[in-house]
Amino acid sequence: MKAKNLLGACLGLSAFLLATFNSLPGLSLAGSIALGIFLLAAIFWILEPIPIYATSMLVILLQVMLLSSQGFVFSVRSAPTVTVKETTGEFDYLVPSSVISSEGLVYQKNADNAIIPLVIERLNIANAEWVTIRSEELDVALPLIADANHRAITGQAYSYSKFYATLASPIIMLFLGGFALAASAVKFGLDKNLTRVLLKPFGSKPSSVCLGLMVCTGALSAFMSNTATTAMMMTVALPIVGSLSPKDPFRKGVALAIPVAANIGGIATPIGTPPNAVALAALRDSGISLSFSSWMIMATPFAAILLLISWRLILSLFKPQTDRFEIAIQGKFQTSPKAIIAYLVFAGTILMWLTEAMHGISTSMVAFIPVALLPAFGVLDKKDIRGFSWEVLWLVAGGISLGLSMKDTGLASWLIGQISWQSFGGVGVVIAFALVGYVLSNLISNTVTATIITPLAITVGATLSVSGDFNLVSGIVAITVIVSCSMVLAISTPPNAIAMSCGIIETKDLARTGLLVGGIGIALAIVMHLIYWPLLM
Amino acid sequence: MSKLYIMCVDDEPEVLEAVERDLAFFEDVFPLEATSSASEARSVLERIEARGDELAVIFCDHVMPGETGVELLEWMETTEAFGNTKKALLTGQAGLDATIQAVNNANLDFYIQKPWTKENLLSTARDLLTQYVLESGKNPLPYMSMLNAEAVTKAMHESGLVSDE
Repeated sequence: MKAKNLLGACLGLSAFLLATFNSLPGLSLAGSIALGIFLLAAIFWILEPIPIYATSMLVILLQVMLLSSQGFVFSVRSAPTVTVKETTGEFDYLVPSSVISSEGLVYQKNADNAIIPLVIERLNIANAEWVTIRSEELDVALPLIADANHRAITGQAYSYSKFYATLASPIIMLFLGGFALAASAVKFGLDKNLTRVLLKPFGSKPSSVCLGLMVCTGALSAFMSNTATTAMMMTVALPIVGSLSPKDPFRKGVALAIPVAANIGGIATPIGTPPNAVALAALRDSGISLSFSSWMIMATPFAAILLLISWRLILSLFKPQTDRFEIAIQGKFQTSPKAIIAYLVFAGTILMWLTEAMHGISTSMVAFIPVALLPAFGVLDKKDIRGFSWEVLWLVAGGISLGLSMKDTGLASWLIGQISWQSFGGVGVVIAFALVGYVLSNLISNTVTATIITPLAITVGATLSVSGDFNLVSGIVAITVIVSCSMVLAISTPPNAIAMSCGIIETKDLARTGLLVGGIGIALAIVMHLIYWPLLM
Repeated sequence: MSKLYIMCVDDEPEVLEAVERDLAFFEDVFPLEATSSASEARSVLERIEARGDELAVIFCDHVMPGETGVELLEWMETTEAFGNTKKALLTGQAGLDATIQAVNNANLDFYIQKPWTKENLLSTARDLLTQYVLESGKNPLPYMSMLNAEAVTKAMHESGLVSDE
């Protein structure tokens, strides 16, 4: 374990240094640094010498220090300066010719180290080295940047605050809203009581109870984290498992149905699982903002169909040997004032999310309603707020921030330029990214997988969609839902890990079911990408 | 992974058998050790400790030939390996003094009056096992099928084990 961590750390750091200090053809200095950060992050995320959220935080630190306009590399402080040699008229100054950029601008630096670009008029060329310029705005007291081609000016680096701002980006706020809703639902037992009520109509036949469990799990995990849903639903499923004969293969079926349904359910809404956030953020950055309901119209049918297929699959792989069994979930809906407020805020928020077309208030704006109202009414206290999965927000924010630099330093275009994507065709690109994403996300975190491949996919997609060969939204949604279909190993997703550690299913059961569900999911996503999703966008 | 044991100590063979039968429900996950005296219990405890395993819960009679149950529990409380074990007296004859002693010195967790009912014994065992697993900081999931699921879910939420990453 230790050796693996050391290896990961060394590998990540050396990749970072190599990429940063070797200038590669076609890549700017900022691009090289971004490549270094990308490689370091990817290696750290895959080998996990440090926790994945810590890697995300490290990404933001490196960007702030190395890629921002105030950092070590691109700060104007590192640029040489000169002063005006001679004032030759009211607005006429004699300056070295190197201060004039190719666009005919001159740059001054103020006391706050901010760059002030000045439009000037070039009066004469006294000789090659000295020119007289005219500008009404030039302040003789301030220094001029001596070299107009210095990286502080040509690097076009962002202010460091832009990297920090990713933590408050609309998509992060959307997730924060989801966390607040889920926390209040769990606090007042809404999740369990909904399950109790929803399961009733499914009766006591093993096949329909299994469907009921999967539908409940899927529906809950569309709004809560897949992991929290699995933990809760396992408490419902384990008594059922316990009531079956130890030889009944359906024991495994029930225990498998929960994580499979939780993984699939997360696909259904934007807040279902973090990879959705990564996709939405990337699309947003390309100027496309998807509403809550348009995501659902695209993804919910996919999730529902895959859920039904998985149900039949589980029934045929693990045939029940009993005719009926009982489910007894105790409890009733809480009716304290706080519980009622929690229900109302929950229902109201979701209603507003679904009706964006009518009121025009965007998904991310609505998301702040529960964040503000639930603590205001005392439904959530500070202990609950501390209990949000803040590390997931950092994880996604680091991903968004990295995506920003990859796009704007030209790194993403440079990376995808290594392969001739045109020959793949629109569908080929989706399949290629989906397969890479599927394999990767079975081995590492789904969110990290989405973070690594989405900026690249969106750059390829943007290039292809110009020629009309590619539907960007449909393609990105396809890749994202396929990332969520990975469930072959216990380490593939936290729901799998929970289900495995309950000790009822074996690795081979999970692998067999996971491979089949994943394969069907990939095929279904490709079909929808070809015939259904483009109709909507 | 270290095993978590349940132990019962009683000098009457019929009682011991009955307890064993009632607690057999947990056997798949928590192996059961039945011993008929404090000294036998100590030697089993030594074996458990030597293997690196743990004793999660002990149900102990009080009046027995030789060392009494409360004395055994008091001794366990002072050891490092069994200080955290959940300790229950399952007895008909512990007087007030012995009981006070057990509460004050052995950090007694539960007192079951003989004769017991199976439901009562099972739910007590389940609660004590749940407490032990959660307090030990272990991943509760491998044991979840035998524990109080609600308490486990709540603890998982509080320790942040439920996020998607």
